[in-house]
Parts: sequence; structure tokens; C-alpha cells
Amino acid sequence: MTPRKLIALTRAGIMESLQFRLGTFVTLFANLIYLVLVYYLWKAIYASSGTDVVNGMTFNDTMIYLILATALFNFLEMFIVWDMSRSIQSGKIILDLLKPMTFRKYTFWSYSGSHVVSFVLTFIPTFVVVMIVTKGAIHMGLNLLWFAIATVLALIINFNIEMIVATICLYTESTWGINIVKETIVLLLSGASIPLAFFPDKLGTVVRYLPFRAVYDTPLSILLEKNGSDTISGLLSLFGMQLIWVVVLTIAGTLFWNHSVRKITVNGG
Amino acid sequence: MGNEAIVMKDLCKDFKVLNRHEGLKGSIRDLFSRDYKTVSAVRNVDLTVNKGEMIGYLGPNGAGKSTTIKMMTGVLEPTSGEILVNGVVPYINRKKNCENIGVVFGQRSQLWWSLPLIESFKLLRDIYMVSEKDYQDMLELYRSLVDIEPILHKPVRQMSLGQRTLSDILAAFLHNPDIVFLDEPTIGLDVSMKAKIRSLIAGLNEQKNTTVILTTHDMGDVDALCKRIVIIDKGQKIYDNDIEHLKSYFGSYRTLRLKLDDDTWEETLIDESKTDIMEVINRADRQKKIRDIELIEISTEEVIKKIYEGEAS
Repeated sequence: MTPRKLIALTRAGIMESLQFRLGTFVTLFANLIYLVLVYYLWKAIYASSGTDVVNGMTFNDTMIYLILATALFNFLEMFIVWDMSRSIQSGKIILDLLKPMTFRKYTFWSYSGSHVVSFVLTFIPTFVVVMIVTKGAIHMGLNLLWFAIATVLALIINFNIEMIVATICLYTESTWGINIVKETIVLLLSGASIPLAFFPDKLGTVVRYLPFRAVYDTPLSILLEKNGSDTISGLLSLFGMQLIWVVVLTIAGTLFWNHSVRKITVNGG
Repeated sequence: MGNEAIVMKDLCKDFKVLNRHEGLKGSIRDLFSRDYKTVSAVRNVDLTVNKGEMIGYLGPNGAGKSTTIKMMTGVLEPTSGEILVNGVVPYINRKKNCENIGVVFGQRSQLWWSLPLIESFKLLRDIYMVSEKDYQDMLELYRSLVDIEPILHKPVRQMSLGQRTLSDILAAFLHNPDIVFLDEPTIGLDVSMKAKIRSLIAGLNEQKNTTVILTTHDMGDVDALCKRIVIIDKGQKIYDNDIEHLKSYFGSYRTLRLKLDDDTWEETLIDESKTDIMEVINRADRQKKIRDIELIEISTEEVIKKIYEGEAS
């Protein structure tokens, strides 16, 4: 596998995403509405709790966490399940299968360009705004570098989750329900909609070892220096957990896909 | 390996299909059903295609054409039999096989929808690792065959169907593959675009000595492009020979039209190997005066239609 192919795919992906710049603004606007809702919801939760600190997090901590989680969600979001089911129905998938590289690689690098665009156009602006508004609540140091690494690992884990769900959809031949289930599970268990600190103890412990957490909670914890990520050992254990899931899911996803693709029959034609 | 681009020996493909039941009750039963039946899509097909050949691969809908093509491209694994494409087994050496083939499926596009055509070309150049020189030479060849300038910088989604098909064909040939599979490349196109696309395919085949497997329902494509025709029906090969030979498949049929004294045309289908045309004319002349005579060759389309309708048996 040479970088030339990968760079070419990323480049085309960037150009294609830039064609839909209006979509980026709509996303930003939708986020704004969502965040207003989140703001008032959590304001009510904190008001009714009677204390300033709930589960070790202040209102500001929670808001920063959730705003960045939303931005991260827009950046990491993939539509492989939808795209694949559509290209199976139209039969277009055969053209992707006939590219001189593995389908998984081709898919991953076809998406990478849009990730670059959404990182620059949605994540960075959100991050800058949070930074300015909170006046130094986010520490500017090595944590930014660790965050970047954790985000790339999160991207790979998320890609594998998407691919595995998409492969399941090959068998069920229906997509909608399974995709909704996946989205709900990922959003809930990853900490993207409720910070993991708010989970009941037992559930929280289980969730900490699941791959979903490695997608949103781990990069955010590292960025905000929470969950012990301000110590070397804490950092290492977070990265270790991510790495294990990257390896496990990549192997599982590849095997599952390779097994399934031999059985797949492309409709029509 | 000699001169063969594709070799298939005794190739078979079976599909397992769930026996579906009728009605709501049946649908629920199907959820747990293990009741499969085997459908053989391709049965004992032998086929050898030489390098640089352009063959028309024909058959009625559902005859097993797509299944065979999918096996040649490596997407499907045959149930039994041998298959070699450019000397490799496609479903095992999938990546290597993909580097040496190009595909066009009439109604699906491999181009990047929202980008100008040139960007798709650049992307394909990099994915197939084509050197800059070969790429430029290929573009030069394209320019000599068709007028690509107006479409080169046009986003694919703004193209007409004809322009898009043309672009897809150019994209399939871009990495100079040994074999190109064209599946109904002229479907839905107007007469002049069809002619343009046929001459482009002929030109590329001639210049690059590319083997072309053409699947189509348009006999105009076949007449214009293919010397050899392979017909498959119900999964079996039923014809494999020259296009000229095809016309005498049912005997040398021709239609004789006679315009008689009362201004009516009388048509007779004549098998020249059995009946003498002059005799028919003489006989008719004795009854009524003949004003005009026409002798019409049977068209490829009619022969194919007869074969599909099973008159051969």
C-alpha cells in the first residue's frame, strides 16, 4: 500500500466535501440549537441538585465537555452504513469492490478527506470559541498533542464499528433499525450525550472497558485532563485501552468483512 | 500462458435461494426457514477469449451474463470449474486481477459525482499507479478519438447521460487495462451518441489492443463492434462463433417481398438451402404480374430474437 493512493483519495474527499460548504453551515447552526437545549437541560439538572458540583463536575465542566463532544461527534461521524446499503441496492458497490485495493482501505481513505474538512470547519472553530469564552479552562500544553493522537485512534475505532455494523446489514438486508440501534448505543455509551461521570457506578465501570468510550470520552478526557489523564500512568492506560480496541476491532472487522464479502451477491445487472 | 486473455473451463455457479412463502404467515415462517433451493445460474460454460478480441456476450435477461462477468472480475467465486483471467485466478488474486481490468456498468458510474471529470481521472491515475507519461499519452489518445475538452472540467453530476457514459468508458480505459468489461454501455443513449461511443470503443480496442467483453441488448452495438458472438441462455453457452455465421444459424434465411399487380406486397421467408428463390418468383409470376421485387437479409436482431425465444431447439 503506497501513500500515493491514499493521498489521492483524501484529496478527492476534501474537494468533494468542500462542494457542500452550505452543509457545514447548516451543521454549525443545528449544533447551536442542540447546544441551547443542552444548556437549559443541564442548568435545570444543576439547579435541582442544590450543589455546584455534581459527580465531580461543575456546570461549566459539563458544558465544556458536552460542547466539545458535539463538535467531536460531527467530526467523527461516518455514514458507512447508509452509503453501503445504498450502494448495495443500486449495485454500485461492485465498482468499489473492483478497485485495486481492499474495500476497507478504499472506504476508509474515501472518508478521510471529509474528516479533514469537518475537523477544520467545525471542530476547530468550536474549540476556539470554547477556549475564548471559558478563558483558560482548557490547558494549552502537551495535552493537545495527546488529544490529536487519541482522536486518530478514535477515528479508527469508530470506522471499525461502522464497518462491522454495515457488514451485519449485508445479512439482514435492512439498515434503518440496526443503524438507529448503533447510533443510540454509541452516543449513550461513549459519553457523547451524558458525561460518563454521571453513570451509575456499576454501569460506569462496564462502560469504561467498552470500545464506545474510546471514541468520545477518551479523547475529551485527555484534552480536558480528566479521569487521571494528567498523570503518565493514567494517560498510558487510556491509550492502552484505545490501542487494544483498535487492534481487536480491526482484526475482527477485517475477518468478518472478508468472510461476508465472499457471500455477497450484488443485486441486479 | 499464450495468447489467451480469458480461459473458462466447465465453469458453474449455483446460488442458494430461500424458498419464500406467500402472505403474512409465510413471511413470518420465512424468518426461521432453512428451506433453501439451489439455482444454477451458470452451467458448464467453456470459453476462451484471445487478447485483443472484442466479443459480444449476449443472452436474454436472467441468462447468467452478469454472473459470468462477476466471476471474471473476481467478485463471485465459482461453485466449480476453472477460470483464468490474464493468467490469474480472479477470486483468489483479486487485487492483481483488478489492476488489469476495467469495467463500465451502463447505469452506474464510478466517477466522483460532484467533482469535475479531470479530478476523477487524476484519482484513478493515482489509484492504479499510472505513470505521468502514460497518463498524458492516454489523454492525448482520448483527444484524438473524441472531443473531451468540453467535458473534462465539467462536474459529473451536471453531465448528460451520454457525456457521463462516455466519461465512464474513458475512465475504464485510463489505466490501460488488458481487459475491459462493458455492460450495456449504450443503454438509454440517442442515436448519434451511440455512434460516437461505438467508434470510441472500436478506436481504443484498435490502438491499445484491449480485449473487450461487450454485454448488450442493442444489436447495433454488436453489428458495429463484434466479430465474434457468444450467446448464453439459462446458464449454458448456446452459441459461440462469428457474427456472419450467426445469420445462417437457422439456415440461410432471407425474406422475399413481391409487389403484385394489385399493389400489395407479399412476403415469403425463404431458406435458400432448401428452396430456390427463382422458382418462387416464377411460380408467383405465373399467377399474377410482378411489379417489384425486394430481397431482405435477415437482421442480427431477428436471429437473436429467434434464439432467445428458443426456436433453435
